[in-house]
Amino acid sequence: MYWLALRTILYKKGRVFITLVGITFSSLLTLTQVALFLGMMGNATGVIRNTDADIWITSKNTQSFDFSNPFPEQRINRVSAFEEVLWAKKLILTWGSLKLANGAQEQIQIIGFDPASGIGGPWELKEGALSDVKGGRYMIADKTSAPRLGPLNVGSIWELNSQRFKLVGLSEGIKSFTTAPIIFMSYEHAQSFLGNMYDIRSTTFIVAKLRNPEAQAGVIESLRASLKDNDVYTKNEFILKTVMYWTVQTGLGMALFLMALLGLLVGGTIVGQTIYAYTLEHLQEFGTLKAIGAKNRDIYKIILSQAGLSGAIGFAFGLAAILLSLDHLEQFGVTLYLSVELIVILFIVVLLTCFGSALASVRQIRKLDPVAVFRG
Amino acid sequence: MTAILELKHATKVYDQGRVKVIAVNDVSLTLESSQVVLIMGPSGSGKTTLLSMMGCILRPTSGDVLVEGDVVSRLTESQLPNLRKSHFGFVFQSFNLFSSLTAAENVEVALRLRGWNRRLLKTEAQALLAKVGLETRSRFYPKDLSGGEKQRVAFARALAGNPHILLADEPTANLDSATGREVLALLKSAAERDGKAVCVVSHDPKAETVAHKVLLLEDGKVKS
Repeated sequence: MYWLALRTILYKKGRVFITLVGITFSSLLTLTQVALFLGMMGNATGVIRNTDADIWITSKNTQSFDFSNPFPEQRINRVSAFEEVLWAKKLILTWGSLKLANGAQEQIQIIGFDPASGIGGPWELKEGALSDVKGGRYMIADKTSAPRLGPLNVGSIWELNSQRFKLVGLSEGIKSFTTAPIIFMSYEHAQSFLGNMYDIRSTTFIVAKLRNPEAQAGVIESLRASLKDNDVYTKNEFILKTVMYWTVQTGLGMALFLMALLGLLVGGTIVGQTIYAYTLEHLQEFGTLKAIGAKNRDIYKIILSQAGLSGAIGFAFGLAAILLSLDHLEQFGVTLYLSVELIVILFIVVLLTCFGSALASVRQIRKLDPVAVFRG
Repeated sequence: MTAILELKHATKVYDQGRVKVIAVNDVSLTLESSQVVLIMGPSGSGKTTLLSMMGCILRPTSGDVLVEGDVVSRLTESQLPNLRKSHFGFVFQSFNLFSSLTAAENVEVALRLRGWNRRLLKTEAQALLAKVGLETRSRFYPKDLSGGEKQRVAFARALAGNPHILLADEPTANLDSATGREVLALLKSAAERDGKAVCVVSHDPKAETVAHKVLLLEDGKVKS
């Protein structure tokens, strides 16, 4: 019966073209929105995911990685004091203003890390070394920031909050959720950008690595009891916290999710409408099939395989379109996360939507009385 | 001649709310091999209901339907499609061909339903179309065929799988007189040459010329 499904759906080429265009755009919209959402979440959690730490300590009630407040850095001693802690490092995230060649100012995100260990530093370094930021006003920028900052040449001098910094390295593919360019520098120099309102030296994060990851729950519990003015997270908890902040609290992720859902609904409606119209047009033929011995499930196979086929072809076109435009989109600073797993999952979702939208037709067939074919 | 299909005291009552309509009332008949039975009667006399019961598409409210000696009126809904597939061929008033399939493919549908091998069914479909004189039109779509040709394709489809019983509902109603005669000749030939049991429901007086037995149905009852 798959043969019959194929022959009948391809018979009206105009209709099949319109259906495929609809599903292609629907798949493209769904794929783009989900990949964009995951790409943005990947950016938002990039530093957390790529820092080899089991525990993250932030200021109290920190909402996300991007908006952590300073707290006294000497609290690191309480963390290091735990026997289970292999090492603890301070990490700073703050903001600054970079003067561009044309005189304009660009708001940037500054990450201050320990150049000796490289903990919290850039993980995809294309030029220079992590240790190059040591001992002076040196910085590493990311190549993807070039459209915002202008040409990034190693050795060039930049003015950051009225201080001169030398560009000593270039990373690639490290972006922030806020889209502000990221500049890496030594912890000591980043500390100077935290402001003067605190008398004591401050940091924004303490990260720690455990000797034995199995001890994590106990250490976290003890740290929470000890550091009452801080929040203590496991790596995954902090990733989740950041993702939830951007997704739910800001509503930004939800907007992308709704767009993806809308894409699915549009595609589902197009498939459902097409298959339903097709079913109504061919009720007499389906009735004939039933009269000459086809079972309901034979006809369901025809309808569902038409829905599935439309979904599969439309999805393939949508995927091809997004893959072809991926490089161009990245040039405009758009990060899309596409993996085989994601493509498979979205393909299944699109197929299920198409099958679901064909259910109205299946109901029509179930109700169809083959006696009707004798009535002309 | 052997009894292939029997109706014993078959009655069909349609329950329309407070009103019960007796469409077929206590009809008994036998359809034998190599025989054409013609059922005639005015509109609303129950001809289509009777034909539907004979074709195991509709169950009688009471009475029995026997196919080759087996009572089939008590089979479950899910068993009936297989029975229809193996024993019956249908010819409809409006031809009921698949508009998106060629003449040969329309015949193939019935063979595919019966599980025929892909290679064999193409040869068989061609042979059946040749039998009705349409071997040169096998690649034509229904929209490119005349009414008579469409009915002959439908007839070839009804013969697919070599069923013992052919049921035809007003097979000449949408055809001109000459073409109608051709189709009736095909039905007669199926009975006399191939030994099939053929039942035709028709208003067309020409159908009487090919019938071995004529039944007149009035108000759901057989009058003669």
